[in-house]
Amino acid sequence: MIKDKIIHKDIRKDFPILSKKILKTKDLVYFDTAASAQKPQVVIDELNQFYERHYSNVSRGVHTLSVESTLRYEDARKKVQNFINAKSENEIIFTKSATESINLVAQTFYDKYMSTGDEIILSLMEHHSNLIPWYFLRDKYGVVIKFANITESGEIDINHFESLITPKTKIAALTHLSNVYGSQIDEKVTSICKKNNVAILLDGCQSAAHLKIDVQKLECDFFVFSGHKTYGPSGIGVLYGKESLLDEMPPYQGGGGMIGEVTTDKASYAELPAKYEAGTPPIAEAHGLGIAIDYMNNVGIENIINHEEELTKYAYKKISELDFVKIYGDGDNRNSIISFNIENIHSHEVSSFLDVEGIAVRAGHHCCQPLMKHLGVNSTSRLSFGLYNTIEEVDIFVNALIKCKEFFIK
Amino acid sequence: MNELLKELYQEIILDHGKEPRNFGECETHNKSAHGHNPLCGDKVSLTLFVDDDDIIKDIKFSGEGCAISVASASLMTEKLKGKKLSYAENMFKDFTDLVRGSEESLSTIDEDDSLYALKGVKDFPMRVKCATLAWHTFKNALKD
Ligand SMILES: Cc1ncc(COP(=O)(O)O)c(C=O)c1O
Repeated sequence: MIKDKIIHKDIRKDFPILSKKILKTKDLVYFDTAASAQKPQVVIDELNQFYERHYSNVSRGVHTLSVESTLRYEDARKKVQNFINAKSENEIIFTKSATESINLVAQTFYDKYMSTGDEIILSLMEHHSNLIPWYFLRDKYGVVIKFANITESGEIDINHFESLITPKTKIAALTHLSNVYGSQIDEKVTSICKKNNVAILLDGCQSAAHLKIDVQKLECDFFVFSGHKTYGPSGIGVLYGKESLLDEMPPYQGGGGMIGEVTTDKASYAELPAKYEAGTPPIAEAHGLGIAIDYMNNVGIENIINHEEELTKYAYKKISELDFVKIYGDGDNRNSIISFNIENIHSHEVSSFLDVEGIAVRAGHHCCQPLMKHLGVNSTSRLSFGLYNTIEEVDIFVNALIKCKEFFIK
Repeated sequence: MNELLKELYQEIILDHGKEPRNFGECETHNKSAHGHNPLCGDKVSLTLFVDDDDIIKDIKFSGEGCAISVASASLMTEKLKGKKLSYAENMFKDFTDLVRGSEESLSTIDEDDSLYALKGVKDFPMRVKCATLAWHTFKNALKD
């Protein structure tokens, strides 16, 4: 059937953690890649080697180790640039996480382009990381936040979105791929923003490792993601921003590395990208992210996409056949993520039950409390795939769901 | 069936989880608090009526959550009704010890106690917060 699109199981050997036994007996079925991806051996090894052989601070000295570290750090930037097809390296800023990237944009974009009474559009399915930084602006400066509705199928209601735009709307910050529905944003949303001169930030946390990213095609002004969800280390995040905007916006944090000249009276700031990278950055982590990107490129982004598409389709079909399970969203626009509830069983019970079977799924509100409220639930369970998951694991999961229901509903 | 799950989901837990006792709000109350587990969104609201002798005359809860958090709240209200506050505070300590797996120095909870049924939580560290949510809310209500 679909076997030719499925990546061979041998790929699992690249990920040492996948051979772990849960409770000493159960094979690990890791269905929580949306929370964080597991790391391939090359990333783990390269991190060690970096500390063993090349480590020093970056851009701060002329000695050999400083050069070796700096080369690797800047090489990682080029890899990210190519990975998302940015025009220039200057458009790639390293942060500690997607969360920090969004905070950076919220603060500095406001400082340059907004004032009290201006408007921001978010959607009801945003992650708290793409809500609270904007709430800060509302609380501090009195900007207005409007929320786009979400349809049954888990997509932004385009008409409603368009109706929210006024001459005061300055920016829309939206998830590129929902971490609850697995739905991808409609290109119409970005074209509406373009047409109305509204800047757009795409939260790419869930898309970066699962779709082909081309920031130029996406026509976004900002794109953010986290290294740990793309098979890289935690502690490294990326902000892509259009050079013209990054140039105009003020720095975010002050510190070493982001300055031009400092006197007792004043300071001038470094050129891009250093301007936004105050202090010692996550050096080894950036290198690790670069290696993770190499790894994904070696596997092949197309292959990863095809593989996960097949897994998602298969799982969606299998789970839909269970009449006691409710899936949120529909089957068409869905990538690597399925959120669901078993009737009358709380997601915690489902998650604890599955854990004992060796299956890791996420339970809770997925940092999307406004969306949970919109769905009228207090939590959901969520499975999410990475390139290392298999059809067999989906079968194990479906059987476990049936057992779970029998355990709790007698 | 897995032993850990059986330990965790004893009959009494499933029963209280599905049909919680003392659910609602006390007709008259002089202490109350809301509890919330920000990690998962579970919520509990607690109302109490404590008389001049520091006896808990009435206690009720409402909210939404998993079987463990609802059962724990339900069992807690059953246990605390009629108790003196000082004793109830000792129970708080004993209960939080129990679900964290230390049962050496329990003075108010023994093996025959219904609260003992929640002992299985100790093998699911991420669920300890579910079991203790109602109890922490109770502690907060006393400050009211
Ligand atoms: C859609 C989305 N946005 C933002 C984040 C925040 O990412 P991080 O915690 O790595 O900054 C996540 C991660 O959970 C996410 O799924």
